Formats: sequence, structure tokens, C-alpha cells
Amino acid sequence: MVLNCNRIGINKGINLNLIRTDKFKSNILSFYFTLPLDREGVTTNALLPLVLKRGTKELETSLKIQRKLEELYGSNLSINVDKKGETQTIRFTIEGPKGSYVNDGKYIIHMIELLKSIIYDPYLEKGVFSQQYVEQEKEILKRLIEGKINDKREYAIYRCIEEMCKNEKFSIYPLGYVEDLEKIDSNTLYKNYEKILYQAPVEIFYVGEYDKELESYLIDSFKFPKKNIIEIERESITGSVQTKNMIYEDMDITQGKLVIGYRTGIPYEDHLYNGLMVASDILGGGPNSKLFRNVREAESLAYYIGTSIYKYKSIMLIDGGIEFENFEKTIGIIRSQIDAMKSGIFTNEDMDISKKSIKTSMESIYDSAFLISEYFFSKVLTKDSRSLEETIGDIEKVTKEEVIEASNKINADTIYFLRHIG
Amino acid sequence: MEVIENKRIKEKIYHQELDSGLNIYFMPKEGYVQKHAIFATNYGSNNNYFIPIEEKEPIKVPAGVAHFLEHKLFEEPEVDIFDQFSKLGAYVNAYTNFNQTAYLFSAVDYFYENLELLIKFVQNPYFTDENVEKEKGIIGQEIKMYEDSANWRVYSNCLNGMYINHPVKIDIAGTVESIQGIDKEVLYKCYNTFYNPSNMVLFIVGDLSFDKIIERVEKVERKDFHREVEEITTIYPDEPIGIQNQYLEGHLPTSIPLFCIGIKDRNLNRQGKELVKKDLVTNILLEILFGESSEFYNDLYNKGLIDNSFASYFTGKKDYGHSLILGQSNEPDRVYSKVLKHIKSAKKNKISEDDFQRIKNKNIGGFLMGLNSLDFISNYFVDNYFEKFIFTDVLDILDNVSIKDIETRLIEDIDEEAMVLSVINPIH
Repeated sequence: MVLNCNRIGINKGINLNLIRTDKFKSNILSFYFTLPLDREGVTTNALLPLVLKRGTKELETSLKIQRKLEELYGSNLSINVDKKGETQTIRFTIEGPKGSYVNDGKYIIHMIELLKSIIYDPYLEKGVFSQQYVEQEKEILKRLIEGKINDKREYAIYRCIEEMCKNEKFSIYPLGYVEDLEKIDSNTLYKNYEKILYQAPVEIFYVGEYDKELESYLIDSFKFPKKNIIEIERESITGSVQTKNMIYEDMDITQGKLVIGYRTGIPYEDHLYNGLMVASDILGGGPNSKLFRNVREAESLAYYIGTSIYKYKSIMLIDGGIEFENFEKTIGIIRSQIDAMKSGIFTNEDMDISKKSIKTSMESIYDSAFLISEYFFSKVLTKDSRSLEETIGDIEKVTKEEVIEASNKINADTIYFLRHIG
Repeated sequence: MEVIENKRIKEKIYHQELDSGLNIYFMPKEGYVQKHAIFATNYGSNNNYFIPIEEKEPIKVPAGVAHFLEHKLFEEPEVDIFDQFSKLGAYVNAYTNFNQTAYLFSAVDYFYENLELLIKFVQNPYFTDENVEKEKGIIGQEIKMYEDSANWRVYSNCLNGMYINHPVKIDIAGTVESIQGIDKEVLYKCYNTFYNPSNMVLFIVGDLSFDKIIERVEKVERKDFHREVEEITTIYPDEPIGIQNQYLEGHLPTSIPLFCIGIKDRNLNRQGKELVKKDLVTNILLEILFGESSEFYNDLYNKGLIDNSFASYFTGKKDYGHSLILGQSNEPDRVYSKVLKHIKSAKKNKISEDDFQRIKNKNIGGFLMGLNSLDFISNYFVDNYFEKFIFTDVLDILDNVSIKDIETRLIEDIDEEAMVLSVINPIH
């Protein structure tokens, strides 16, 4: 199976990516603004989609939008603010069942129209956003930001990155900061909206069935006269340890959360990055990995333990949920397992298993329209021109020497431990 | 072989019962690269008081046995099961809920080899005193992880408040204390009773051949299971209509209070299509009353009482059922009294035809989009199968839902007396 992406420049700074497939029962359309992640703008940028989804010129309230979506056979509208490396992304997505299943071939036009009007034709009062909407959504955003402590695992990961990269933009929380909310009002937010409309690069993805007519409709719908388009810089990366921190934080919790951050300094453009992916998988990719076997299965120290790679920053994290008193013991096992990787103490079978596992997870992209659009978006961000088959092929070609070489670039930077008060 | 076809959603399901009593269902999904198999038993944490196979007297087992058993089936004398699946490039997993235990894998390549492996490991228990002891540490950590989760706690407290005797009030994994009482004997007893092929189902979805599936399963399945089994009897204690507690409160480090309002169902003992219809009717009702397109939702949202985390749904089986309305709020008590007031006033008014049609539309779309996902298909199949319903016909049942059904359900079964408020407050 081969996925082709038909990439069309709508105008300067706006690209439409069409991916044709007939295997799903729905069509999906995603619109992304990309912005540099910076402390100044992050909070205002994060607030914007929350206010935009409150109303359009035609459908002035959430209630009306929601009812419209229900009429469109329960089409889903979702927004998301995230970071990919040091890029802040704002996504608007609409997905609905194909016309052939609901005997309404033309309703896709209404779906596109709705998404477009949410982004381009917001509900305004006196030429700016409704102050009431802005205030309400500031409160919602405040809760979302404060809510980062609710999932302890996620929180520990976020805190480790924040400490580890404290002098880098990557430490910025993509939803922003409570203290920055105060100074935002409908005027400043609207100004920021205009700036984003005119200057932020846009990528649009459509996955599903389409014909020439729909293609031109999409092109016409999302045209916008952009100027002074913002340049987004590639993240700086480093292999050398920046902080060498040991951070403890106390909370009233039952299970400790350990996160260790490592620098690798291997950029995703580098061929060795493939070796790093395999190394990370052998170490902590799944139930067959070294960490899972040794920390969980052999010692019963954790329910979960694993590694993840932050592609855009070439960082690797290990995270696990452990008993407070097992902190030293767990760290000891992790260290010895990484040392084993560095000395080449792993088998060809380990390599083979990890390659298959990476292949399987990459191929699973084919079965989800949303993952297909996210995949092509990440290719745009990384300027990667390889096909998915070629990317998988590169993983399959990784040698044991490359895994050892990549492992030797893994340097511990920050240890973070969320533990019980007392 | 039986073929179940639904032309409207353009899906087919093939069925065959093997000599062993195992039922296999297969749904082809052309063009999908992944293939999923799920091997499930009609046995979950609720089945904790039952008559073991070939015995006469019921036994009571410690809380958490079904889940413990799920963990332990991955253990084999010589080979490591995770290892075996990994070598074949597959992801293997399992879950236990109140009513089922399921073992599943997804694979791109070597599907039939993985399938053989799935059947073999689920059908070959290997419990020793040592490996049972070792698992207590791992499951203990899993239980502690849940104890720290405010979302989980607010929900499990709510169940605990609604039910007086029914086992659904007990946590699926049990407690750190209750699992200490588990040994290999009790695991074998539960296994032999509930993992009989006649109490299980194998469901497969993907771009595959049904003939090959059957051939492979017949080749590796165990043939020595007790064949003439009667229906297994699980004994449920008498559950009064009333509730245990009206209000439950816990404390955890969260940013904002979490709440879960539970309304215990009194209209029970439905099965098959009737249960499916009740489920749809109640969920449509909740969506009309509390969904994002309701006046109620928008009013509370604008007042800052609720946010996008606010949700409602109904879930239930033959012997229990409840509606849940949950979310986060700085004033859970106020949300609770507004919900109560809203239900009372809704009972006096008619449901609007327009609301009803829109929510019905939404359900149609939601189901169709769900069919894109192999995970959704597998889980939905299994959950409905044990209720003797093949899920592909769900839209036909939905067609038969009338506005009258919604109104009747609201007036007769939504009982303000059986309402529970569970709150988790932040620790400052």
C-alpha cells in the first residue's frame, strides 16, 4: 500500500495536502497554523482557538455550532494546541461520515464551510472578539494549564523537560502560563489573531475521497492574502549535558514517578538517528525491552517503565512508576542497562524484534485517517522527503554497530523524582 | 458457516462454531494493513461468587482474581510470551473489566503465527507459588497507580456509593490486601470454570481468509476441555433499589474538584436487543439533557460552572446499570443541584423532536466513524457478543428508537432518589 500526498500551494504560506483513500467511512480535514514556540506569544496563541470555536459570524454561539455539527451527522470538530519541538501548532479538525453512508452526497461542502468559518469568519463585536467569550475562555485555559498536575505521569515528564531544557525554548509549556493571561483582552487577542492569519504558515490536510470539484472548492475556501510570513527556525540541539540536575518534588501521592532525561545530540536528519530509534526500542520500547524485563518482570519494581524519543530535540526520556524506597535500586538497574547497550550487550534477535516493532507502529499509520494527516504534517515540519516505505527501509538497514554508536551518545542530563511528602 | 451481513454499513461478519464449542467470528476489512484478534471470556471482576465447574457448592473468591488471572496467563514454563509476540512483530495486550477478560494482539505480518500463539497461551495456564507471589508486587504497583488517579477515584467512589451489595462496587484489580489472598489453587479453579471454550469467543478483523483462520485455530486449540458444560452460574447478591451513600468525598493533589454524579438504574433484567435498545435510549436521553448542544450545558458553561470535561453516559448489563454525569467544577454541589432540578423539570416537559433527530443523527455518524477503527470494532463486538447481540445491526435498533421511548425512560426510570454525588477535592 502506498500513500500519495498531492501538495498544492494555495498561496504563499498556505499549502493544501490531499491524500486520496477510499478505505475509511469518513473524510477528515485538518488545518494547522505553525508558530515559533516562545514565552511571549505562547499563551495568547493557545487562547486563540478556544475563542474561535465559540462562534462564527453566522453561528454566533457554541450551542449553534454544536447543533450544526449534529445536523452534519455528528461530524466531529476538534481543536488542539501542542508543540512539535520548538514549533507551536494550532490544529482545527473536522471529520464526518462519507455522504454515501448517510445518503447526503453534498454535505461535505457544509463541513468544509463550517471549519473555514471558524478559522476565517469568527464572531465579532465592534470589530474584535466578544469580551465575554475571551474572559470565559481565559478561565478555561487557566484550568487547563493548572490541570497539568492532574495526570502525575504526564506532569513528571513535563517537569523533567522543563528543568532539563530550562535555557531552551523547548521547556515552554504549549498551553502557556497563568500569569500571562491577565493582560490578554479581546483587543490584544484580536490583534494576535490578525497577525497569525497574515503571517503564520498554514498546512491543510484532507484525507478521504475527493474529485476535481472538491479540490477547487478547498483551494478557494482557504485562500488568504498572506504577507511577511514568519520563518520557523530549526531547533538547536546538543549532545552535551546542560544541567546535570537532580530534582525532587513532593506531592501527596501513593506511587513515585521517576523521569530521567538524556541528551543524544543526534539530529533527525542524521542517518544515525535510525540507530537511535532502534537503541531506544531495545532499551525501553515495549514488554520485550531491557527495562521492562529487568525493572518490572525480574524485580517487580514498576508497573510501567519505558523510553521515548523527542525527535525534534534529540532527547530521550525514561519514565517509570515506582515505590519511593526503590529509587536508588531502579536508577542502578537503568544505568547498568544503558551501559549494556553502550557495550553492545544485546542480541541480533533484540535488534530484529525492535525493528519489527518500529515497522508495525509506523505501518499502523495507514489505518487511521487522522494519523495519516499527522504523519504528512510531521514530514513537512522535518522537510523529510522519504516515503513511509523508505523510512521503514532505513530502520531495517540499521546495523549493530550503529546501535552501539547511537547508544554511546546517550548522556544522562536530568533526574526528576516526584515523591511522597514527608 | 454463517454469514451476517449488514448492507447499510457495508460490512459482513462470518461465524463458525468449532467442535470444541469455541465460536469464531471474522470481519473482513479490505485494505487495512493491521489485523486484530481478540480472544475473550465472559468473565470479569463481577463473577466473584460462582459454582465452579463440576462442583455443586458456590465459592467466593478474593477481589481482583479475574484481573490477576489475566496477568498470570502470560506466564509459560519455558518461553516468554511477550518475547514470542515481539519476534513476530505483534503487540499483545489484555484487559479485564467488570464483565469480560480479553486477550488481544495487533499485527501487520505473520498474523496466523501470532494467532496460534494467542490461542496457545490463553489455553495453557501455568501457575506456581513463586510466579503468583511475584505478580503481587507488580499488581500492587498497578493498584497504587490507580489510587493516585483522581479520575479513577471519583468514578470508583461513585460506584461504591450507588451499590449496596453488587460486586460492581469493588475495584476490578482488588486491593493490595485482597490480592494477598490469591493463590494458584483459586486461579486454576477460576480458569477451569470460565475459560472453557464454550464461555469464550474469538473475534478477528482485518484483510484475511476465514478458512485459514479456522484451520489454524483447529490445529492448535486444546481438545481436552470439558465438553458438556452447562451455563456457568454466577450468584449475585440481592441488590436493593436504594443507594449506599448520597455523598462521597475524597482528597487528592488535583488542580480543581472533580465530580461524578451517578444515577442507579432500576429497570434491569434486559438482555440482547432489549438491552442494546435501553442503552441507546438512555444515552440519547442523556445527550439531549446534558450534551454540548443542550441549553443546560451552555448555561452552566457560560456561568463558569462546567467546562469541556463535562460528559454523561449510561452503561449497564443485565444485573446492574447506571447513568453518570461527570466533569470538573469549582462548585460540584451547585452543579449537582442544577442537574437535579433539570431532571425534575425535564420530566414535566416534552422532549423536542428537533433535539431528538439531531442526537439520533449524531449517533449514526459516531457509529459509522467508529467502524474506521479496528480497536473500536473488536471491543464493541466482544462487549455486545456476550449480551447475545451482533453489533453490526446497531443502526437498525437505533432506527426503532422513538421519542416516546426517550420520554418513558426519563419519567419511569431516572430516579432522583437513586442519585449519588462523588467529589474529589484538591489537597492544598
